[in-house]
Amino acid sequence: MIAAIGAGIAVFTGIGAGIGIGLATAKAVEAVARQPEADSKITKNLLLGCALAEATAIYGFVIGLLLIVM
Amino acid sequence: MLLIDISLTQPYNKSNLLRNILIGKNKRKDVEQTGDLGAKLTEELQVETTFRLFGMPIYESVVVTWIIMAVIVIACICLTRNLKVENPGKVQLFLESAYRAGYNFFYDILGENGKQYIGYLITVVLYIGFANIMGIFGFKSPTKDLNVTVALALMSIVLIEYSAFHHKGGKKFIKSFAEPIAIVAPINVLELVVRPLSLCMRLFGNVLGAFVIMELLKIICPVILPVPFCVYFDIFDGLIQAYVFVFLTSLFMKEGLE
Repeated sequence: MIAAIGAGIAVFTGIGAGIGIGLATAKAVEAVARQPEADSKITKNLLLGCALAEATAIYGFVIGLLLIVM
Repeated sequence: MLLIDISLTQPYNKSNLLRNILIGKNKRKDVEQTGDLGAKLTEELQVETTFRLFGMPIYESVVVTWIIMAVIVIACICLTRNLKVENPGKVQLFLESAYRAGYNFFYDILGENGKQYIGYLITVVLYIGFANIMGIFGFKSPTKDLNVTVALALMSIVLIEYSAFHHKGGKKFIKSFAEPIAIVAPINVLELVVRPLSLCMRLFGNVLGAFVIMELLKIICPVILPVPFCVYFDIFDGLIQAYVFVFLTSLFMKEGLE
């Protein structure tokens, strides 16, 4: 029971990842609107940034998983 | 003397698993559901042994990896037949442009110093891409097994450090841990552990997380709803993760190759 609550709290890491990816995407859209010719470079950097921001959510998921499984 | 002892353990039974969860819902809510979910997740995390070869367990991820290897090898043999210097066919042109695109992508990141590692990186992206897509064809994708992603991440960190060592030489390589100032040396050493850990957990967590969400969606509405999610998680997310894995590996390598 306590482990389930802990797992639920661990999922709160998703908030940070959501905000981070949202900000990154907003800035990328602005950048593409300003300079459409740099589209491919911006997309590459956006994907990298999203992957790194997403990693925190994944850590939360893994910790929640470990709490439930163990 | 062949000692192939085929002892098939009970295969992954999806309907039984779903029934357990549905029955769990009707019972008391608090302990039962957590227990069922825990049991389900434990079952997913367990590595299933398909058969034993010389007393050595062969895991399901290894068997699926063999299937991927067979697919890629057969594709390679079929695609590279009848290569010509003059009047190349459509297949050859497609193959050459695809290879060039991959080569140029990594060449832009690594530069002249790292071009001997491009073949390995393309191989890894092909393998992870195929492994993530395998879920569509009903196989259990190997990247859902933590052992596979740990192995891939270890190979990556060995390659990263080897390329830095090869490029800089022993003395400069050890010195590079104390850059930019000596006080950050512990953090640089810690990165040796953190980088492969984050690489393997990212891949594993993404694939397993997608799988768990898909299973939950199938319980809610098994008819049409999972289709767009399946396209997103199995195809798009899987390929993005393959791309991210090699992209990060090559970025880390670039630091050592400068």
